[in-house]
Amino acid sequence: MEINTCSGAISLSRELENESAKFYEELSKRYEQDKDLFLTFARENGKYVTQIERAYYGVITDALEGCFAFDLNPEDYKIKTPPIKDAGYSDFLKEALAMEEKILKFYQVAAEQSKHLMADVPRSFTLVAKKRIERIPKLKALLEKGK
Amino acid sequence: MALLEEPIKGIKEVKNYINGEWVDTKGKIMDVVNPATGKVIGKCPISTKEEIHAAVEAAQAAFPDWRRTTPLARSRILFRFKGLLEENFEELSRIQTMEHGKTIDESRGETRRGIENVEVSCGIPTLMQGYYSEDIATGIDEWVIPSPLGVFGIIGPFNFPFMIPLWSAPYAVATGNCVVIKPSSEVPLSQWRLAELAEEAGFPPGVWNVVNGGRTVVDGMLEHKDIVGITFVGSTPTGRDVIYRKCGETGKRVIAQCGAKNFMVIMPDCNVKATIPALMTSFFGNAGQRCLAGANLLVVGEDNKFYNGFMEEVAAMSSRIKMGYGLDEAIQMGPVRDKEKRDKIMGYIEIGIKEGAKLRLDGRKPKVDGGCPETCFVGPTVFENVTPEMRIGSEEIFGPVMSVFRAKTLEEAVEICNASPFGNGHAIFTQNGRSAREFQYSVTSGNVGINIGIVAPVAIFPFSGMKDSFFGILHTQGREAVRFFTESKVIIQRWF
Repeated sequence: MEINTCSGAISLSRELENESAKFYEELSKRYEQDKDLFLTFARENGKYVTQIERAYYGVITDALEGCFAFDLNPEDYKIKTPPIKDAGYSDFLKEALAMEEKILKFYQVAAEQSKHLMADVPRSFTLVAKKRIERIPKLKALLEKGK
Repeated sequence: MALLEEPIKGIKEVKNYINGEWVDTKGKIMDVVNPATGKVIGKCPISTKEEIHAAVEAAQAAFPDWRRTTPLARSRILFRFKGLLEENFEELSRIQTMEHGKTIDESRGETRRGIENVEVSCGIPTLMQGYYSEDIATGIDEWVIPSPLGVFGIIGPFNFPFMIPLWSAPYAVATGNCVVIKPSSEVPLSQWRLAELAEEAGFPPGVWNVVNGGRTVVDGMLEHKDIVGITFVGSTPTGRDVIYRKCGETGKRVIAQCGAKNFMVIMPDCNVKATIPALMTSFFGNAGQRCLAGANLLVVGEDNKFYNGFMEEVAAMSSRIKMGYGLDEAIQMGPVRDKEKRDKIMGYIEIGIKEGAKLRLDGRKPKVDGGCPETCFVGPTVFENVTPEMRIGSEEIFGPVMSVFRAKTLEEAVEICNASPFGNGHAIFTQNGRSAREFQYSVTSGNVGINIGIVAPVAIFPFSGMKDSFFGILHTQGREAVRFFTESKVIIQRWF
């Protein structure tokens, strides 16, 4: 079912951040050499959730279009948990890259859909997207290093 | 999406809060029903005249000490209160959804707007400062002190059970008055919880009182000599013919915020993509049960191509609105408060058909998600070819019904708006600054929106209203509320 409400979009954002944090925590346990980076990512995810919820709870009022600002299909952003068995480091990194691109897309689309309607909320999505985009070259560098 | 957890389990037996104590009524008890599920979630006391009098007397007794409590000390209690409201934000929001039926986004919006008023009233040490002139004549100084008056009655409506009493109560107590709040008996749970948090914040006994009930409580407030003023939000007939009139007869201050029939004026140069969701919020948000809701859509211009395309989009988005229990985050529109209100709205839809308006979207058989009983649901309804003479275009329906008018020019549109006896929250959607300026200048409306469908002022501004939408002089919220809850004492001083 598509998501049209701001509360639905916030919940999806929280779900994506929590899921991807779990994924990075798992990677940090498996690959000691890059543990610090993965744990940093996981911690940042928690901060993003706080930042977005703060924006939402601070600005949500009846003057804004809380129930009509989005048209998101959650299936488009579903994170696939990578297969744990038989997967190598590069497989995980590729999954991480795909996951980051998907989450980035979510924030960009959500910000664009709500930009005239939800005041601080799309701004917080954009800010998080800007931060997350920095992860992609870092993950690509790890992938290159492993080749 | 999964349902959020309900904060009220079983049936909550609401009590009155008088003089710092929770007391049972000797009157009748009424069921509080969740309109989305049909389940009884609470019991509301229908208090007696003796009980409202006891609350007023307790408030009057608390007044001298509270008045002498310094503004800074009062403000500290309000800061604690604000903190508690933030801590309990989610619970307070979910209670509103349970007792009223609105969606969780709408309830959170209501909670935020309520808290904003507490936040603004925390600034009372500076907000209620007077002013001073030295040497108005040689050796003579003069100053004015805004002083509290005593006990105020606050009468809340059913459509914003949490927020609306907070348009008044925080300013009243911040300025040193005491309050007796009467919530709507249909939705008493939000004010019960709010009073618990007020108690926890540390308001002394008698400063903040809640007496539940109906007309007996209202009459008890209006007749009591120690009530110095009333704030009321509700229908125009009650506000004008009962509250305003009676306050005039008994010399009480009054703010009566009443009914509406708001026009949303669409210029052909509007940003259609952003305007359509704003109209959905305006007409169908809170299931149309708000005095700032759009009721009449007025499309300007003779360009049929624009009109047809625009209405196509309005009808399409309206028809896709998901209805159900507001604790499901996917839901965009909840039920109306009860079956009687639903029947009244259904009656207006029948009237519109008989009057000859074109029923573009029929909400009489709504599709409701999540297995909720249909008892209190009305779907989004759109009528076209509506004229000002029709009852659906002129009377307040208070439900999710959009009546569409057309006007050739902006001037004609303003004339149509101004011919309405109401003047609460008209709005224009345009990209043209000149049209916007002309509209805001010419339209007789207390709150005016420019590309805003729900013209709800934030707490630092007054919630205004004109014509049959408002009776009184000063308004709730912000500086006007501070003036309403204080009277000017002027001192002229000369030393021999």
